[in-house]
Amino acid sequence: MESGCLNLSTGQPGLIELAGVCKIYNQGRPNEVQALTNIDLTVEAGNMVCLRGASGSGKSTLLSIIGCVFPPTSGRAAIAGKQLVRLPDRFLTLHRRRAIGFIFQQFNILPALTVLDNITLPLLPLGVAPGERKARARALMASLSIGHRERFPANQISGGELQRVAIARALINEPPIILADEPTAHLDSRLSLEFMAIMAELKTAGKTIVIASHDTLVTEHPAVERIIDIRDGRIHVS
Amino acid sequence: MRPSHLLILFLLLLAALDGVLYVDYLRLRHDRPAALDILTATAAGLGLSDLCVATEARYTRHPAASDRVAPVMDHPGGLEHFPTGSFWAPPPYPETRKEIAKF
Amino acid sequence: MTIFSTGLEKQLNILDYALASFWRRKLKNLSVMIVFGAVIFLLASFQMVTRSLTETAADVLAAAPDITVQRLSAGRQESLPLAYRDRLAAIFGIRKVVPRIWGYLFDEGKGANYTIMGLDVAAMPGGEKLPQSLAAGRFPEPDETGGCVVGRSIVRIQGLESRRHFSLFRPDLSLKPFRVTGTFGAESAILTDDLIVTTLPEAADLFAIPAGLVTDLCVYVVNPREIDTIAKKIAARLPDSRVLTRSQILKTYQVVFGWRSGFASICLLTGLLAFIILAWDKASGLSPEERREIGILKVLGWETADILTIRFWEGCLIAALSYVLGVTAAYIHVVHFNAALFRPVMLGWSVLDPTFRLVPVLEAADLLLIFCLTVLPYLAATVVPAWRCAIVPADSAIRGG
Repeated sequence: MESGCLNLSTGQPGLIELAGVCKIYNQGRPNEVQALTNIDLTVEAGNMVCLRGASGSGKSTLLSIIGCVFPPTSGRAAIAGKQLVRLPDRFLTLHRRRAIGFIFQQFNILPALTVLDNITLPLLPLGVAPGERKARARALMASLSIGHRERFPANQISGGELQRVAIARALINEPPIILADEPTAHLDSRLSLEFMAIMAELKTAGKTIVIASHDTLVTEHPAVERIIDIRDGRIHVS
Repeated sequence: MRPSHLLILFLLLLAALDGVLYVDYLRLRHDRPAALDILTATAAGLGLSDLCVATEARYTRHPAASDRVAPVMDHPGGLEHFPTGSFWAPPPYPETRKEIAKF
Repeated sequence: MTIFSTGLEKQLNILDYALASFWRRKLKNLSVMIVFGAVIFLLASFQMVTRSLTETAADVLAAAPDITVQRLSAGRQESLPLAYRDRLAAIFGIRKVVPRIWGYLFDEGKGANYTIMGLDVAAMPGGEKLPQSLAAGRFPEPDETGGCVVGRSIVRIQGLESRRHFSLFRPDLSLKPFRVTGTFGAESAILTDDLIVTTLPEAADLFAIPAGLVTDLCVYVVNPREIDTIAKKIAARLPDSRVLTRSQILKTYQVVFGWRSGFASICLLTGLLAFIILAWDKASGLSPEERREIGILKVLGWETADILTIRFWEGCLIAALSYVLGVTAAYIHVVHFNAALFRPVMLGWSVLDPTFRLVPVLEAADLLLIFCLTVLPYLAATVVPAWRCAIVPADSAIRGG
């Protein structure tokens, strides 16, 4: 079958629930593009799934919808208990702040900022005082063994340390959902395995993790419970 | 110290400097009447009507020295009554120079 | 209270981020501040100098003669006969008529213009207070030969610190000797720096003006409200004369400074406009780094309004600091450095440098005007184009830029 509801749940509502989700860019215009078609997906709390697909398959669009960056054009999407359809942009942003932690491809760390400043970026618009920001960041840095790099500019640390900074930034708001987009694309095998080990720990701690990757070190990691193939904007079951 | 606190501190220092300058300004304005009395007495006593701040204002001609500048006013209300000179030096007296050259 | 404190903390956080961002590009931002501050400094200095001079002129001119009578021939000022004084004596309402020779002498050797005034100071209505203007000495007696009172610039340029005698050339190049009987003080410098006051006969001798001729008649009236009426009567009685009332002279002075100040202001405003256009041009575009940063912030949960607030704080910081520093520097420049940069423009470029201290007038209206001319356009030019950051899609960071 081409698409289906890959729901292995016991009937309880999932943390990520997509039903009949479609996304059309530039709807009604000559350059209209249907990026996603009839996506049905449920991810339970505490699960780790992997989205696998080539460039242009709709993987980033699906990640954006799950990440509450924009709502779907049609269908139902509920992320961490909130329906996304017809949600104004401002409320999407507020929900994204609380519910989602992002780990980007190439990490997207701001090089001019220090490690500490990069990690605490998501806390600034929440009105968190400097003292509390530092305390939370230091706790995370200690658990990720990068506490000694606190004052270093981000452009002066190694690739592995950058990876941990990105993870810390994604976790600083204590979101229930972690999204990672090709996190190991620019890492060697050792760092890729280190990354997956951290993800596994987070999963054990109850986080729901969605990783978009076609790296076999990721897709074949024992912590990954499901692999979801996306091709031409549809989920394929192999 | 967080940057916003540094900025506030800097602004306070600026405000203090401006405060000092304002107090100095008030002092100067307070002392002004005394200085103004002398100026007024000078102007009244000599019948002066100009401050000597434009000693080459292009407004006057004097029979003692001709100048090349035509008596055209800059402004309809700009009366040319100051006794001071033009932008350019008065021309040398050609007849007098011939007299000197004879020596 | 909690919502308020959270909101306040959020604004402080955004301000911290804006300040850190400002400091990261400190070379560019400080350069903009210096240029902007310099423009504000120039505008504010001009404003203060002009106000100061026109205020001083207005205050001082209140003591000028009620009516000044001069003679015109072919549109040019000429000497007028002393006999005109007698013709004015018959006009009812005139209190006093004092003749005066008021001219200038160009000292070719020194390249300086001196203002020469020959009159009987005791005959002037305000003459009894005149000695207040002296630092030392006395005014010459009406029949004293060669006596004169000189201003401080004359002392300097003629080297009269250690001697009392000097000479000036008559039109036929013969030398006219003078003896300094007194010097004007610093308090009257703005009026007397270039002045040599002597008796009427001595001034006539210096300029080779024939006996019986003077340059001005200073007319004083009994009732100040009658000035215009009496001026008309004088004009009717002396048809070849020019009759100038005090208010007309005051307007002339305002025109002089208004012209100079306005000319300079137009040049400065043109420069300011160019600066604002450049600022708009710069603020309108987003560099790839800025787009990336905005995309990342948006994905991390920053709202568009928060990002606009960053740009607003950055613009405010530059504009407000430039304004305050520019106006402060202008005040210090005018008061403590005597407007050294503008003296040649506002005060003429004479060899004699009048040495007096300007006391500026700080009017709230002037400060507000400069603020509206500089800060508001700059904010509009930098903050308004910041809406462009609103169109950077949040998913641009997910797509990798």
